[in-house]
Amino acid sequence: MSAGAPPLSGPPKPQARALNCPQCGAAITLHSFGQAVTVVCASCHSILDAKDPNLAILQQFAAITRDFKPLIPLGTRGKLRGADYEIIGFQRRHSKVEGISYSWDEYLLFNPYKGFRYLSEYNGHWNDITVCKELPMVEGSSTNYFGEIYKHFQTSDANTDFVLGEFPWQVRVGEHAVVTDYVHPPRVLSSEKLNKEVTWSIGEYMYGREIWDAFKLPGAPPEATGVYENQPSLVATNVTGIWLAFAAFTVFLLALMAGFDMRAKKEPILQQTFQLNRGDARGEASFVTNVFELTGHPATVEVKTSAPVDNHWIYLNYALINQDTGQAWDFGREVSYYHGYDSDGSWSEGKQTDAVVIPSVPPGHYYLRIEPEADPLLPGLAYSVDVTRDVPVLGIYGIAFLALLLPVVIISFRAYTFERSRWSESDHPPMQLSNMSGSSGDDE
Amino acid sequence: MFRKFYLLYGFLTLSTAAFGQYRGWSLDTVNQLKNVPKSVRDNPGSYRSVYAGYHHYTGGK
Repeated sequence: MSAGAPPLSGPPKPQARALNCPQCGAAITLHSFGQAVTVVCASCHSILDAKDPNLAILQQFAAITRDFKPLIPLGTRGKLRGADYEIIGFQRRHSKVEGISYSWDEYLLFNPYKGFRYLSEYNGHWNDITVCKELPMVEGSSTNYFGEIYKHFQTSDANTDFVLGEFPWQVRVGEHAVVTDYVHPPRVLSSEKLNKEVTWSIGEYMYGREIWDAFKLPGAPPEATGVYENQPSLVATNVTGIWLAFAAFTVFLLALMAGFDMRAKKEPILQQTFQLNRGDARGEASFVTNVFELTGHPATVEVKTSAPVDNHWIYLNYALINQDTGQAWDFGREVSYYHGYDSDGSWSEGKQTDAVVIPSVPPGHYYLRIEPEADPLLPGLAYSVDVTRDVPVLGIYGIAFLALLLPVVIISFRAYTFERSRWSESDHPPMQLSNMSGSSGDDE
Repeated sequence: MFRKFYLLYGFLTLSTAAFGQYRGWSLDTVNQLKNVPKSVRDNPGSYRSVYAGYHHYTGGK
């Protein structure tokens, strides 16, 4: 133990045991007292029997220590899950899947009163692991542990490449174990089968920052890359709830639409038909309507134009003018309808009516100034203008609906891509597009 | 967290839609002018529409 290290929590203070390596004579300190089964000499990489008073050599392996440098040095102490722990062991393991080797690190933590727990690290993803208190129940491709269902993720061979420190089991370099992982993010259940012995452990995902804070490590933790098997998705757990909220909001929106539609006055203010005569073309085309009164609170005013145009157009420069204040709403509207027949069949475009909704028109006395223009080929035409006060604008509900839908779609898509990335690394990858196209290629 | 944010966002969206409907908002583009002279009523030709000179579509496919 280092002199400056804080004492571990708990009443009596157990003492570490100091020994010497029988191979190279280097000093070895046992921190887990009587619980260590094997201890590794950091100098000569001899795995020693910690239960033997003479530290019998069980295995020797060649390794360049700097190639296997733990991110958390042995002897580091920190507070995890409310208890003090010391890092006493480290091992690097790897598994080969489809010819690709994946390696990860495991740290053994010890507290004399709480016992052992483990930390694993792969590509910046961390797991806090403890041995299961109860045997999980395997049900087909899933596992039930304390009522929680864990889905099978992967089964692979785990090979031990490097060990350092002390271990409460007979550790060996080159050891092969069959590891099966079942996930229920943020937890993972793992069964590790070594010879005929199966050990179940449960891990909970941790972020690198939490580990760094717990052990007060300098610098920043390695950045996590990719999506890990039990990494919690920030959005996935909320997708169903958000869709339910969206459904509820849609119902409210429909209720709102029905309510405002019933409440809207849709009051006809002006209904008049005008005649466009080409013979009057030399005179002043513009004219004004009679004054009409708009009452109530500021509301919409709809100006609807109907003209029986047939392969022609008519264009009306409108101005709705408040006689009292001089405030005006100026707009131009075209009514055009064209149709015909060509090699593709019959076609048509435009229509014989047009409507515009003027926003928030305050009460007052108004008149319309109208300046018609028309297709020079059009000899004359009767067109009608309808002015209606307080009409509902359905487009607002359409925008509100899209505004409600957009975040739900984005969150669902993100959750989908996250889960797809997670399961693409498993024994059950989502169906790949390339797999689908591959079958058609075989037919050729 | 996302759900709470979405609930707040949805509530604000519905409130905005209701307020807009009550105040008579519209999606159409209409040019607003002030101080149009009273003489326009007697002489409509003295008013120049913002949209005069619009290039008209002559139709056809």
